[in-house]
Amino acid sequence: MANLIEMSRISKAFGGSKALDGVSLELLPGSVHALMGENGAGKSTLMKILAGVHQPDSGEIYKNGHKVSFANPREALDFGISTVFQELSLLPNLTVAENMFLGREPTKSFGQVDDSKMNAETAKALLDLGVQIAPETLVSELSIAQRQFVEIAHGIKTDARIFILDEPTAALNAADVEVLNRQIRRLRDEGKAIVYISHRMNEIFEICDMVTVLKDGKLVGTYEISEMTPDSLIAKMVGRELDDLFPPRCEVSGDVALEIKHFKISATSKPFSLHLQKGEIVALAGLEGQGQQKFLRSLIGRFHPFSGTVTINGQQLLLPVAPAGGVRQLQALGVGFIPEDRKDEGLFLNLAIAHNIDIGQHARKADFSIARNCKSIVDDAMASMNIKSAGPRAYVSSLSGGNQQKVLLGRYLSAKMDVLLIEEPTRGVDVGAKSEIYKLLRSFANAGGAVLVLSRETIELIGLCDRIYVMHGDTVVDEMAATKATELKILGAALAA
Amino acid sequence: MAATLSNPIIKRILRIPPAYFVFAALLLVLVILRPHMMNANVMGIFIRQIVPLGILVLGQLLVMRVKSIDLSGGGIILLINYFISSGHFSGASLSFFSVLALLTGTLIGVVNGYLIAKRRVSAVIVTLAVSIILVGFVQFLSSGKPPGDVPTLFGDLYATKIGPVPSPVILWFFLSLAMWLFLSRTVFGRYVDSVGENTEAAHFAGVPVERTVWMAHALAGFIAAIAALVQTASIAVGSVRVGLDLPILAVAATILGGVVFGRGEGGVWGPFFGVLSFALLFVVMTTFSIDEPGKLIAQGLIILLAAIFYGVRAKQS
Amino acid sequence: MQTRLLKLLNAKTSRQGLWILPLLMAVAISAVLAIQTKEFAGTENLTNLVAQAMPLIITAIGQMFVIVIGGLDLSVGSVVSFTTAILALNAPAYVLIPAVFLCAALIGLTNGIVITRFNVHPIIATLARQYIVLGITRILRPVSGGTVPDLVIQSVKGSILGISMPMIWGVVVVLIAWKLLHASRFGLHLFAIGGGIASGTEDAARNFGVPVRRNIIFAYVACSCFAALAGVFLAGRIVSGDPNVGLLFELDAITAVAIGGTQLSGGIGSLHGTVIGALVLALLSNGMNLANVSPFIQTAVKGIILMMVVAFQSRKKIGL
Repeated sequence: MANLIEMSRISKAFGGSKALDGVSLELLPGSVHALMGENGAGKSTLMKILAGVHQPDSGEIYKNGHKVSFANPREALDFGISTVFQELSLLPNLTVAENMFLGREPTKSFGQVDDSKMNAETAKALLDLGVQIAPETLVSELSIAQRQFVEIAHGIKTDARIFILDEPTAALNAADVEVLNRQIRRLRDEGKAIVYISHRMNEIFEICDMVTVLKDGKLVGTYEISEMTPDSLIAKMVGRELDDLFPPRCEVSGDVALEIKHFKISATSKPFSLHLQKGEIVALAGLEGQGQQKFLRSLIGRFHPFSGTVTINGQQLLLPVAPAGGVRQLQALGVGFIPEDRKDEGLFLNLAIAHNIDIGQHARKADFSIARNCKSIVDDAMASMNIKSAGPRAYVSSLSGGNQQKVLLGRYLSAKMDVLLIEEPTRGVDVGAKSEIYKLLRSFANAGGAVLVLSRETIELIGLCDRIYVMHGDTVVDEMAATKATELKILGAALAA
Repeated sequence: MAATLSNPIIKRILRIPPAYFVFAALLLVLVILRPHMMNANVMGIFIRQIVPLGILVLGQLLVMRVKSIDLSGGGIILLINYFISSGHFSGASLSFFSVLALLTGTLIGVVNGYLIAKRRVSAVIVTLAVSIILVGFVQFLSSGKPPGDVPTLFGDLYATKIGPVPSPVILWFFLSLAMWLFLSRTVFGRYVDSVGENTEAAHFAGVPVERTVWMAHALAGFIAAIAALVQTASIAVGSVRVGLDLPILAVAATILGGVVFGRGEGGVWGPFFGVLSFALLFVVMTTFSIDEPGKLIAQGLIILLAAIFYGVRAKQS
Repeated sequence: MQTRLLKLLNAKTSRQGLWILPLLMAVAISAVLAIQTKEFAGTENLTNLVAQAMPLIITAIGQMFVIVIGGLDLSVGSVVSFTTAILALNAPAYVLIPAVFLCAALIGLTNGIVITRFNVHPIIATLARQYIVLGITRILRPVSGGTVPDLVIQSVKGSILGISMPMIWGVVVVLIAWKLLHASRFGLHLFAIGGGIASGTEDAARNFGVPVRRNIIFAYVACSCFAALAGVFLAGRIVSGDPNVGLLFELDAITAVAIGGTQLSGGIGSLHGTVIGALVLALLSNGMNLANVSPFIQTAVKGIILMMVVAFQSRKKIGL
């Protein structure tokens, strides 16, 4: 059977780190093709190349043996590739209908936008999906799930031949997912090709025909879904020995460093309690966006929780924490917060490594005091963390992803914090650096520090941590020792709630 | 073009603020075409004229380093000039005027900083509005006419020299030195670097972002007051127009000196040479009898070209 | 009906911004003036008011195009002066009028290109432009003088069918702007670009396939051309060229747009809001004139209003 499109030996690097390395993918008409892999395996990058958002460094895209290329999303769309991305990219100040038609609005005779036509067609498209949203509503008024449906409606309504659904169900509940699945089957029966990215194993087995597995930017293989089982699929995605990657655990018998009681993220969510002892690494696991980040960020004032008490080293933290001064307030209590987005929130890319590390020292001093020379601290940090660079004066932007992450971590380790709150300790980092980062965190804990970490990579949490809290629906639904945890058990706990 | 820009030597050269090249080029022009002007006395007088601008630039570079801008300097200079020349405080001492001026400038800077850092209002709008409010009030108070004379002590001080160098120039140099030490040696300097490079990352690193921006504006107001004292001394009379074009020239000199919103490669000495470039530019223009309109166009072109220079370079990296 | 009214009052449910408030302000100021002074409600004063307000209304409408996309144009005041200076050159109207708009379009075009292609902040680009245009204007006409073509003078004088010429200007300009801003794909795309910038997702509009750069350039061209139109009107009124007539016009225009409920961060705003905002400013200065307030104080009052209006618009960004 002739394919709809074929991507051949695609490679793409961002800065120093290779996101994709010679990956090929063939899409057949009338099939739902799952794209699997851990976070950071390169799925989203591959799809962004297919959708014209990124251009590959090398490799070709063919249609019927003819080479094609997309310089921008518009060209990909014109070719017949329609995308629902995982990040919400709707424009909040436009109506649902305007978002649906943006870039190709119907016009009336004098060139004015045909609102009534847009509204009517939008209402119909949304009704097909089984949701009722007035097409005149501004997107800023919609809930996250409603926005997701608008994105989906926008993606599947066009007369495209290839549909990319990148984690379309992240914000949807089971009933909504079933509505979506019906649409996907309809498209498949019409002879379209669908690429489906999801971490929910049951969805993959329910709806997909083929699966392509990526690992660390490389192609593992393409298989018929009927030949696979969830376990064999996970094995292909993970496929490495945990023991090599993670340092051994130690006995934990410390005092309580952080205690959370009756914490309610929102007015309607269930309250939960959790604690963190000195010497242990504790994980917040679960599906993406189930309140892990909201909880962690409410401790530094970035999110306004409903209620709860927080005690850090015996001192109570008053909620809500002030947004402008929250980070400093926690630092004064000995708590460091390491944000997930190292490029935008973590590092000063165009400043020296030394500055990136020693700002952690200076941030606790009075504004007009003399900046202490931190050369020895920076040198120590760079040596102990094995940061590969041209020296402390080199810009952070010249480093690889792994070394950048180590610089970020080094800032907090050298600032002698008692507690670290870490979002995504190893996002977009190669395996070697991951292992080093795990060792650093473990030795921090062994020295009496406490770490609370959240990550999209469940395997990482199981290997790195001592204890795991599973979060779902903005609350903690289960707690287990990491030695007894498996990916399936965590997923099960999350979905049973 | 992309290939030439990525050449390491060209890259190196592009790192040097344009002010140094412009300064060297203008100096060369003068040396060749007007060699008789190349003596300490003449140049001293020319540079002395530019000292208020040079001092104002120290505040401007501070706020531009934290991705803000201060266009209220003109209003501050006008107001302080009015205080000194109006005769409301006739017979008051120099130290009284100095304290009054510095308090006024700082207060206006604090108000700017509050609105920009805390209320998150656009800095251009706030400082322009502050400037036109001050200008309006001063012109109203003086009924649109120049107020009166400045106490002679100001003019006398302005005319003093230490060796061959006019003392205002020395004051400017030492203030620049102080600013350089302040930015390179204090914790606040690190905060400024951090906020300029990435506001969000600075916040997460524990830098008090709002306070840093606020403080930068308060200091800029304080520095504008010093510039106002020197400016007032230099013209020795009250005026309703004095110093109104200085803020924009300060922006131009700062950009020329390699400090553009958030990027501080030019440090303090880049803008210092930016100001010197303007001093020479005015000399060159005067000697070639290019008048006011030509100067306006030159200022505009310099800002535009320097901004394009940095814009294109930022795109490359 | 009641929900409709609620919708109008809640700025969030509407992309048009909070324009009801300035409307009430305008009505309140008019009421106070009508009660306090006899002259205000007279036909002569009202006709005059419209004529006085018109240049500001036109410039503010132009400014609106770039504010909607989260930009700002500080060069419009100098374009207004520049236009009067060109019109006062000794040449026939059919040469001068096209020349005016050609120059304005060129200024807008280069502003847009410098901003989109060379990555220069709009405030810096247009600030620099302001000085360049001002310089050229002063070369063309160092002090006010000269005469503008008769056609220009006649176009702002008298009335047709009982409607004063300035009023006709206003209606035509508003219709053109309405078409561009609220009744075309171009206008919708401007709001889309601004909405993306205001919510921190600059690429959103591009990912939808909206030609972002081209639209931004067009917005700056439109802004300059409206400023030139205001210059033509003003030249007709003052009959001569004046290098200083547009001084601080850009600030008045920004104030008017901001009063009208348009968010300076982009994406939210309306044409009628801008017109109302300009009227509020015009009413204030009309009132202050009637009350014999010093022109210097009037300048200061405008500054205070600008500051108050922007202080109540919240945004995430800090600094510029």
